[in-house]
Amino acid sequence: MKRTGIFVCHCGINIAGTVDVKKVAKELSKHKGVVHAEDYVYVCSDPGQNIIINAIKEKKLDSVVVACCSPTLHETTFRNTSKSAGLNAFQCEIANIREQCSWVHKDMEKATDKAIRITKSTVQRVRRNESLEPISVPVTRKAMVIGGGIAGIQSALDLANTGFEVILVERAPSIGGHMIQLSETFPTLDCSQCILTPKMVEVSKHPKIKLMTYSEVQDISGYVGNFKVKILKKPTYVDPDKCTLCDECTKVCPVVVPNEFDLGLTGRRAIYIPFPQAIPATFTLDIKSCPGLLPIACGKCADVCEPDAIDYDMKPEIVEEEVGAIIVATGYDLYEKELLTEYGYGKYPDVLDGLQFERLLSASGPTMGKILRPSDHKVPKEVVFIQCAGSRDPELHCAYCSKICCMYTAKHAMLYKHHVHDGQAYVFYIDIRSGGKDYEEFVQRAVENDGVLYLRGKVSKIFEDNGKIKVWGVDTLTGKDIEIDADMVVLATATRPSKGADELAKKLKIAMDKDGFLAEAHPKLRPVESVTSGMFLAGAAQAPKDIPEAVAQASGAAAKAISILSQDRLYHAPTVAKVNINLCTGCGMCVQVCPYDALSLKDGKAEVNEVLCEGCGTCSATCLRAAIQVKNMTPLQVNEMIKASLGG
Amino acid sequence: MVNLEELKKEASQILKEGKVKYIIGLQSSSNGLLPVPAFIKNPEDVEKLVWNPACVYNLTLFLRDEKRRKAKEKEPDEKPVGIIVKGCDSRAINVLLQEEFIKRDDVYILGISCENTGVLDEKKLAKKLKGKKAEKVEFGEKDDFVITTEDGKIKIAAQEVLSERCLECKAHFPVIYDVLIGEKTKRNIENPFKSLERIESLPPEERWKFWKEQIDKCIRCYACRSVCPMCYCDECVVDTISFVVTPDTPAEEKAQKIKWLEKSPVSSENFVYHFVRAIHLTGRCIDCGECERVCPLDIPIRFLNKKLEKEAKELFDYEAGFDPDQPSLVSSFKDEDPEDFIR
Repeated sequence: MKRTGIFVCHCGINIAGTVDVKKVAKELSKHKGVVHAEDYVYVCSDPGQNIIINAIKEKKLDSVVVACCSPTLHETTFRNTSKSAGLNAFQCEIANIREQCSWVHKDMEKATDKAIRITKSTVQRVRRNESLEPISVPVTRKAMVIGGGIAGIQSALDLANTGFEVILVERAPSIGGHMIQLSETFPTLDCSQCILTPKMVEVSKHPKIKLMTYSEVQDISGYVGNFKVKILKKPTYVDPDKCTLCDECTKVCPVVVPNEFDLGLTGRRAIYIPFPQAIPATFTLDIKSCPGLLPIACGKCADVCEPDAIDYDMKPEIVEEEVGAIIVATGYDLYEKELLTEYGYGKYPDVLDGLQFERLLSASGPTMGKILRPSDHKVPKEVVFIQCAGSRDPELHCAYCSKICCMYTAKHAMLYKHHVHDGQAYVFYIDIRSGGKDYEEFVQRAVENDGVLYLRGKVSKIFEDNGKIKVWGVDTLTGKDIEIDADMVVLATATRPSKGADELAKKLKIAMDKDGFLAEAHPKLRPVESVTSGMFLAGAAQAPKDIPEAVAQASGAAAKAISILSQDRLYHAPTVAKVNINLCTGCGMCVQVCPYDALSLKDGKAEVNEVLCEGCGTCSATCLRAAIQVKNMTPLQVNEMIKASLGG
Repeated sequence: MVNLEELKKEASQILKEGKVKYIIGLQSSSNGLLPVPAFIKNPEDVEKLVWNPACVYNLTLFLRDEKRRKAKEKEPDEKPVGIIVKGCDSRAINVLLQEEFIKRDDVYILGISCENTGVLDEKKLAKKLKGKKAEKVEFGEKDDFVITTEDGKIKIAAQEVLSERCLECKAHFPVIYDVLIGEKTKRNIENPFKSLERIESLPPEERWKFWKEQIDKCIRCYACRSVCPMCYCDECVVDTISFVVTPDTPAEEKAQKIKWLEKSPVSSENFVYHFVRAIHLTGRCIDCGECERVCPLDIPIRFLNKKLEKEAKELFDYEAGFDPDQPSLVSSFKDEDPEDFIR
């Protein structure tokens, strides 16, 4: 029989307010095998931990149960405490009497009874706990960053500047993301390209960064510290080393397709460079729009290419890499046009989204920075900006706030006025969210200095009439109907996780939230970690974010990755699955069900890869033969825990 | 109509050619209408084989014994075993293949189509004959059974005396076989879960009453477990004894068993037994109905399995035993799996 010590925490009144902690300690002291039981106001405090250490030494305890908060909070604390007093860390278990008891009950008598049952069942569990040692694994000191927008660039640079090798994977032909499309950035109005391109150049020249553009992560296996990644390098059909950027190829290419960089406001050829400062600086042949690679089909670009850089025989390539940590910075996309038809988005050429307007404002944009309507290239004199187009609309669109639109709409309206002095800008808004350093002042500047007219209300209808865009709405402050004959409408469309992020998340086995953004491990305390250890989140892939926030999170994610890469070895919980070979029939259900690919069949029996196993117990629950069980959570332990909970 | 001579010819041939170790089939019994299993090794013994509407057994059960026997042999004969199966039984083979309990090369399947009939329900027949004893039963020419009684031969339409499961059959000809005897006739089953309607239509309290009465009858003879080809675990949860033994586990604890349920046949324990069995068969039961047939207390065990079969079909579009390569129901997950029943 083990000698178990019980420590019941008051947690101030968090537990003691609903549970009679003295009674819990008293009842447990009568339980078989319990040689010490006491309560304390904060067991996690230093004096509280000393109580445990002293009791272990004085009463020669060989196992400890702390009845307190969730094991996700203080299990590590108390296991370390027990270890410092000479116990094996896995002889300490937590009985959760806060989240699973005091916080969810009101009746003191019943809650106390439940707390006693929870603690007794944990005593039964710890009685059969094995002493275990953590499993140690080596670390591959290299990181992969997925996504080459500002967040990915920042993470990659931080990692590389610390001295670690980084693979930066970007699916587009160039890095830069959405930030490179922007004109000027709020609240300082500095030119977006001017502040981003130095970082892009730094990435391209950095000896520690291996840049893989036009590439996608295809498959991933392994575990924290030792991931194996397969990256698909799509063929660009242009040798970047030979390409001299002479631009002769685009002059002969017969195909014109909408230019993604200008969001369809201009066209591009099938062979193209996304934008002049693209990194890597080379042309890409877009095979989807090219009439065919055979010289018989077209072949004009190769004919004119003097340096002979075009290679139609280029094949997709699978590159295998081993990395220790992964940062996912897949960014955002705008809400789809097809889903926002009520504002004439996608129907009228002069109804634009925020990014299209950025391109009109941009000095490198289709109009060289002049604000002209796409339909007739005239200067629009009345422009209506509509905020929350798709955001904060749980019935029809996205329930969440896209966060960046209040600020960029103020910026758009302000910049419009800077370009068109005699024009009028109207902004329809629900309310203005300008929390951020110098943000509120920025919005006030738009109103006071630039005369932007803010109208609190929603737009009910937009339609074309006599070359004007009629905007009908309501000003809810005056209660009056508003009708504007606008020349242009700019929608602050909602942001969404970038297309394909869901598939990537499945490959990486990281969770998504209800809106498809990548889920952080804890909303407050672990905001840059994914639920899968060794994978971190940066930028708008996790939630809508502006540039400073994306950069901050990217540096945070890099720091988290460094905390793994800088270790000699990583330690892994030894509470992993174990197969009872005698009972295993080799049906393979556990292999199919394991979310961590930790199981395989060897000679007709299941085998556990202890390093991959997270001890989730799904295999154990699935096995019809009870042939696989998680250490320290065996069927016998579960059985006895149930009996103890039922009062047996 | 299935030609018995064709079956004998095929059986004799594979034995002569040495393709199989032996053939698991059926021979007539000296006691009663139902035949008994036959394990035929010599080609001349194939004459013993019978095939008639009383061949209710699911012979795949004996693949379990074969596997265990083979595991004990030092130099096992790797030749396959010949086995005679109906459509339903062939689904069991698919499940055993899916669970890697057997390999395809372990069996040589002599599949027999039930065509437009099936196997009989002895109780229905007894009722029909009103006390007269059936001595022999054969397949007739026109989807009927020819019954020999003391008063001579009578013909009864198969539909009237078919077992319940045959009326709801999803595989009236084998879905996997090496040799097929009989034809792949077309048959339309309107509602394969029709027999459930009677119980499903009851309000919850009535349903509970019904099941309580039924389950209370159980004497825990485990005939249902013994006859089930899917109940092949070496150690059944009903008599689990395994637990972790550490160096400091005292002797008294080593002697302790995990008791998930008591062995005595009382109501609560009977429920646990039957529910655990039903859940363990979800996505695996192929509705051969043997559990219900062998129950000495007439407990409608098949309904429990059938209900879960229906849930699997309706929620996950899953049917057991049609594809040996499909992932099993409980271990597979699809993004489009419904979640609305999770509360």
